[in-house]
Amino acid sequence: MPMRIVFEGVGKTRKYYDSQNSLWRQQVVLRDLTFQVEDAEVFTILGPSGAGKSTLLRLVNRLEDPSQGHIMLDGHLASSIDVIALRRDVGMVFQLPAFFPGTVRENVIYGPKLHGTKTGLDGLAETCLAAVGLSPDLLGRRTQDLSVGQQQRVCLARALANGPAILLLDEPTSALDLSATLAMERLIARLAVERRLTVLFVSHDLEQVRRVGQRTMLLIDGHMVELSETEALFTQPQSDLTRRFCAGLWKEEKHG
Amino acid sequence: MVDVVLALVLVAIAVALSRVKGLNLERDILLGTLRAFAQLMAIGYLLNFIFDLHRLELVFVLLLIMVLIGGQTSSRRAKSLRGRFLIATCAIGLGTFATLGLLIGLGIIATQPRYLIPLAGMTIGNATRTCSLALERLRSELTSRAGEVEAALALGATSSQAAQHVIRAAVRAAMVPLVDTLKIVGLIQFPGAMTGMILAGAQPLDAVKIQLIIMYMLVAAALIASLSIALLVIRKYFTRDHQLVVL
Ligand SMILES: Nc1ncnc2c1ncn2[C@@H]1O[C@H](COP(=O)(O)OP(=O)(O)OP(=O)(O)O)[C@@H](O)[C@H]1O
Ligand SMILES: [Mg+2]
Repeated sequence: MPMRIVFEGVGKTRKYYDSQNSLWRQQVVLRDLTFQVEDAEVFTILGPSGAGKSTLLRLVNRLEDPSQGHIMLDGHLASSIDVIALRRDVGMVFQLPAFFPGTVRENVIYGPKLHGTKTGLDGLAETCLAAVGLSPDLLGRRTQDLSVGQQQRVCLARALANGPAILLLDEPTSALDLSATLAMERLIARLAVERRLTVLFVSHDLEQVRRVGQRTMLLIDGHMVELSETEALFTQPQSDLTRRFCAGLWKEEKHG
Repeated sequence: MVDVVLALVLVAIAVALSRVKGLNLERDILLGTLRAFAQLMAIGYLLNFIFDLHRLELVFVLLLIMVLIGGQTSSRRAKSLRGRFLIATCAIGLGTFATLGLLIGLGIIATQPRYLIPLAGMTIGNATRTCSLALERLRSELTSRAGEVEAALALGATSSQAAQHVIRAAVRAAMVPLVDTLKIVGLIQFPGAMTGMILAGAQPLDAVKIQLIIMYMLVAAALIASLSIALLVIRKYFTRDHQLVVL
């Protein structure tokens, strides 16, 4: 079941505690985002650290809710869908791998088991591991004994086990070397086609975005600076900021 | 009474040591000594009074007040959580009254003030300490394991499913001191109630019997209380839409 994601005027403001001056402050993390991600598209979100990329992903599976505007999934208001059902359809791989205590197997079947699947769990675990290019020999291993690259793949396998329609990937290759990164990218591209997944892929790496994305949004300081075909973003940037960012000339400036 | 005053020599030694060694504890020791004296004398007179009255409703009121004080003390460990006083009071009350009720129902203890009050006092004290530990641990586990909890939520777990490991860890940690006491009791440590009974002239075996009943009651009550407080409080760390909000 492919899904289309629509953002309409989405903003996010967070409260945080300023312990130096001991008071609560407001921080605008995302500002008035309007765009859509098509069915079975690999959509990349590019931006510097602190731009709000992770926050944007967290709005899609409702780990947080927007402060303004709304998000539609497959024509339905995200906030009106049962949140548990929504999250089963939206898999997420976090920036930092985090596991439940136990083995790889227990981690991979966590989702299906929650939702009442009792039979075929072993087969499912093997299929999901195979889908991310890992050997079934790893099933009995404890997650902390894996390499970081393997851990990130297990996280992906765990998300796939729920059979999602949307995949949120938050810098899934941030801890990998180049060859492992390229392998992971190929894997994701293949899965997206095979399983008809809509993929939101967050990255701060220009080269990676260029390899992975069909369309790319440049997000800086919570603003959508530009949204275009990925190639066009690099070859025909619409704004000066995009041109500078894509040329690697963008420097951290003080905004707002 | 003369004995007690004579025993103050020990306090004087402690104060002198503190002065000489510059520990800066004199004030605290003196204040503590005074408070202990005043509080224990007051409770001694109160117990005398209540024992003589033979009125069970009064006993119940006293236990209720003790539970409220326990709830108030423990709830301080969960600053900024709404409803913490009510939750802590209910948890401690549940642990205390469930175990006490069972002991009475099984005919193990008689419904007399002289049994009920000290037993409940010890139970409430322990349940309070265990609840405080559980609250602190719950918060620190939720903070340090937020990634794991959110990973579970993202896979479609409800708040309580996602927090399962955190709750387990918190309750286990809270129970450790009591369970360890249970293991070493009699080997390294002589518990207060037993020591007191023996000093007061009871047969050692009678003292041991009472002590065992007490310990079993303490463990059951502390577990019921800390588990209930964890289950009740964990909901405050999530929104209705199963989103984690660590304050
Ligand atoms: N849990 C939080 N509480 C308060 N503020 C937060 C929290 N997480 C992130 N922020 C703030 O929100 C802003 C956006 O953060 P976000 O994690 O979305 O950025 P990002 O683009 O993913 O950055 P990175 O590339 O470093 O992961 C940052 O300024 C950050 O300080
Ligand atoms: Mg991020």
